[in-house]
Amino acid sequence: MARYYDFDDILMEEEPVSVVFRVAADGVGLLDPSSEDNNVEAGAKVDLPAWLAQELFQRQAVLVNLPTFYGQKLRKEIQADPGCVDLRSRCPYFYELGCKLSPITSDPTLGAFLLSTLRGRYKDLLCKSHSAAVAFTPQYMNLLTKEETQMLEAGRNSMKAFKKWRLQGARIERAAVLGRKRRQNT
Amino acid sequence: MASQDNQLLSLFSAAEVEFLAEDELINIVPSVRMDTLHMICGDYGPFRPQIPAQVPLWLGVALKKRGKCRIQPPDWMTVEKLTQVLEDEREAPREFQPLPFHYVEISRLLFDHSQDDISDFYLIRSLVEDVRDVRFHKVEKGLETLSGRTHAVKLKNLSAMEVNLIRPFIVKALESFYKHDSEDLVKQVDSERDSQLAAADRLPRRTLRPR
Repeated sequence: MARYYDFDDILMEEEPVSVVFRVAADGVGLLDPSSEDNNVEAGAKVDLPAWLAQELFQRQAVLVNLPTFYGQKLRKEIQADPGCVDLRSRCPYFYELGCKLSPITSDPTLGAFLLSTLRGRYKDLLCKSHSAAVAFTPQYMNLLTKEETQMLEAGRNSMKAFKKWRLQGARIERAAVLGRKRRQNT
Repeated sequence: MASQDNQLLSLFSAAEVEFLAEDELINIVPSVRMDTLHMICGDYGPFRPQIPAQVPLWLGVALKKRGKCRIQPPDWMTVEKLTQVLEDEREAPREFQPLPFHYVEISRLLFDHSQDDISDFYLIRSLVEDVRDVRFHKVEKGLETLSGRTHAVKLKNLSAMEVNLIRPFIVKALESFYKHDSEDLVKQVDSERDSQLAAADRLPRRTLRPR
């Protein structure tokens, strides 16, 4: 269920997904750059945004293929070392898109694959988010998807706030107005 | 409420937790004569020189700042007690020692305002830091076991500041695990194992630390 006002959700639905048309569609030639007339033929392979693919799938007009970043190659990479795989460059909404596509594709292992990926990457996240607050790690940040980044930031921010509280000096700050010298009346 | 970016997740800022901790009672030894103070939260005093009295921490700190009393460090804030706690913490990797719920905040307030009232101040300060570090490391170790199908995490004897510190991360992590482990996403693959689990307990709890 899409959250209507969630900005990330909107962006995620823009991700292109390749679909195969099961029926011929007239008058929607702009979806298929390779079509010569204004129609899409049955069996044509077209990239559509996720939201459109989902709607068309529900009307049984298309078959949805999984994007390449859920394919065997990446699965093997993630199996080898989940923490080092660059998911952001592949799809910043890796998990969300996967959840969305999982019910409408024929691949039953997608859900389990997402979970095992998250599980594998979670440990790194945990240790980085609380201990490496001082040594900022930009390279690592570049590997993370949106969801993971939010998790990391949540941990890091609370750690930062705590350190600040522990080391700060005076707690009650003087208002700027009070510090001013009173003007002499004479 | 909190003045942080992530408003939904962190309910309290560190300063707010400290504010709550200031309601803890503490013993002071007044050095002046003063009548009973009538406060909204109760009456404190009367204060007689050298006769110990029990007041909230905020009042104690306020009096101390004006040089009207000495703050007696709480029972647990001694070198022997803290050394013992530190040892126990190190020896029991799966549970937390009972310390006051606000020990992080109390110790910080006392270290800031009544250094001269604490004997072995430097030693005690480093002991408290060590205890805190050991406990936090333990929390992290425990969180590593988090994976799918965790619906609740139980942490006994964890203090206010420690809970507040890990809350944003833990909430996020549990949320995403919960989302990805929902029935309709994973069930197609290992439906067998799932149904067994579901029969045993609909919502199994993972105990992070045993009682």
